[in-house]
Amino acid sequence: MLESRHKKFSYYALLLPALILFLFVIVFPIGMSGVLSLTRWKNYQMQGFVGLANYGKILTDASFLKALGNNGQIVLISVFGQIPLGILLAYVLFRKFVKGVKFFEMMIFLPITISSVVVALLWNRIFSPVGVYTALVRSISGNPDYVMRISESPYFAMIPILFVLLWMHTSLYMVMFLANMQRIPKSSLEAARIDGAKEGTILIKIVLPALANVIFTSSIFAISGSLKSFDLIFAMTGGGPVDYTNVMSIYLYKHTFTYNNYGYGSAVSLIIVALSVGLISFGRGIYGHFQKKFD
Amino acid sequence: MLKLTHRGAWLLIALTVLAIPGLFANGEKEEESDSVTLTTYFQIDPANPQQEGYVKMLEAFEASRPDITFEHEYATGEAFHQKFQAMVASRQLPDMFTTYVGKRTAYVTETGNAMDLRSFLTDDFMGHFSSATFEAQGPEGEIYTIPPSMAVCHAMYANTAILDEVGLKPAETYEELLAQVAPLKEAGYYTVSMGNKDQWVVNSWLLSAFVERMGGKEWFNKAMVGDASFTDTPFVRSLEFVDEMVKKGVFSPGVNQMSNTEADQEFYQQKSAYLIDAGWRTSAMVSILPQEQQDAIHMMAFPALPGEVSPNSSAAVPSEGFGMNANLKGAKAQAAFDFIAYYTGKDGATIRLNHGEIPTFGLDYSNFDLPALQLQYAEYSLTHPMGYVIDAKMDPEGMGLLNPDLQAMMFGNITPEEVAARYEAWVAENDSNRM
Repeated sequence: MLESRHKKFSYYALLLPALILFLFVIVFPIGMSGVLSLTRWKNYQMQGFVGLANYGKILTDASFLKALGNNGQIVLISVFGQIPLGILLAYVLFRKFVKGVKFFEMMIFLPITISSVVVALLWNRIFSPVGVYTALVRSISGNPDYVMRISESPYFAMIPILFVLLWMHTSLYMVMFLANMQRIPKSSLEAARIDGAKEGTILIKIVLPALANVIFTSSIFAISGSLKSFDLIFAMTGGGPVDYTNVMSIYLYKHTFTYNNYGYGSAVSLIIVALSVGLISFGRGIYGHFQKKFD
Repeated sequence: MLKLTHRGAWLLIALTVLAIPGLFANGEKEEESDSVTLTTYFQIDPANPQQEGYVKMLEAFEASRPDITFEHEYATGEAFHQKFQAMVASRQLPDMFTTYVGKRTAYVTETGNAMDLRSFLTDDFMGHFSSATFEAQGPEGEIYTIPPSMAVCHAMYANTAILDEVGLKPAETYEELLAQVAPLKEAGYYTVSMGNKDQWVVNSWLLSAFVERMGGKEWFNKAMVGDASFTDTPFVRSLEFVDEMVKKGVFSPGVNQMSNTEADQEFYQQKSAYLIDAGWRTSAMVSILPQEQQDAIHMMAFPALPGEVSPNSSAAVPSEGFGMNANLKGAKAQAAFDFIAYYTGKDGATIRLNHGEIPTFGLDYSNFDLPALQLQYAEYSLTHPMGYVIDAKMDPEGMGLLNPDLQAMMFGNITPEEVAARYEAWVAENDSNRM
């Protein structure tokens, strides 16, 4: 009895530093944001409590809804673009369908090693009205007024950004999947091949189930990363033109640090947290469902 | 003869040792009363070659006033403002700091932390500066900073070599400018380069000047406080001009995808006949362009608009300068003001002019060996009436609505009337000028 009490005390004593750190670094700031989100600020001073008015204003602001929609597109391209493409590329390299595997591995991995801001500047240099791509098309078509109009469309302006995100982040997932594929026992693959299984069957029946955990983890990264996307988009378009490429984190940044409305910004940040937790829980539910099925 | 005992000798030594620091302390006190140490927090990067004028001015001031010692802290960009806001919030302000005339540093000027400098300003001192320098910076006419220069936010640069080649002259009227689009296009040139990717460019570089032309400061002052509306003719007509320029192909293609720097490059590469940009762009032109190309550049204000009430005008905002902590008193306050007076006055202005800055302090430019483009800028800033730059007068949050709407209008997605109505609605409900 006494030993058990000592053990418990030891556990709590060992947990305490981490708990204190967690409370101060995570729980307290979120709690403080919750309080701030109920306030209104003007000229760098708090004007008073406004209840849930900030949330009401945010959720009816067309600019926020546009940003939310754009984040939705990023989530989709991350989960249904980067991850499947990462699996496919990893599988091609894993099964050695191409020569020079190490070279391709390095080339595909390269974009993630470059800073987001540099990537943004690089692509801007290519697609801007005075960029390489524009100059090339102008010289081929003989049309001196050519510019990439897709960036000026309220509906399609995100496409160049989604393309760059796909180009940049797929490599990270590819490396994760490749590392995990290499842990699959070779005997399983050999046996499947002897039994006459085609590549598609091997991928679906052996490789993907073996990667289930890492796919789920990657999805969490992809969802949370997509909802807080900032650096690349801020450097590439700043959310413009108009608000066609705006995302929630840029919306949050402008309201908090440009307009100094800390209450409104805190409310936006809590909405982002809620969306992240909601989507990750949803992903977890789906994963649990499939896990049961496979078990 | 006094004979000291052993114990007495030790006592004397001890007293002497104790007395020495006292003597030094008195000396220090004496020195403190003659010299002053000022702490500063400036939005300057002394390592940046463009700030060389400031560095040289500081060296000259320190040589002339050895009694003043500085403890400087520098930062730039958003980092400067974030730390400065924290300083204000914690009431730990330095003796001197960077202050803007507009809303940018309202967190220090509108919260009682910056000293009103009017008690230091004499008519004789102020008489040397350009007329817009001492416009009121607060509701009671307060002056928190002496702008060291005027940031001219609208200028039009014409490449006369291109215009000559096509048989044209710099446009004098808006209609002439529109008429030049076709012949320039036929000759393979764009008419006007301007990069509005960063959203504020059309507002600061063009719309502000148009609003001044169509309504003047008198109308704008009324619109700010609600005695006039942004749905009135001066504002709507100004928007219509921008809209018409886009529709008639005055700007090079992709104006809203092009950064300000890229637009400059397009003009420097002689692909366009005109550039709309800030007045201080002459500094870059002087250092980048070959002399022949510099000689071909004519600096002008936008051509005359039909129905304008303030002809030949431009738009300018006083540059940020140095302010003083409201709690400074006595010798410290005087020393801080002496530094500001030196920086903005004749000595500092001369040094800064020699490093490419056009000061607000009036100088006889014929005494300086300045590049022709810099002289054009100096003359431009003195001879053109200067209106307000909208984003320096109105709340930044409203710009977050107006600037994207300007882009939407330029894409043809909303009308000038809608832009004006949306902005007026926001201002009426939220802008601090209307509160």
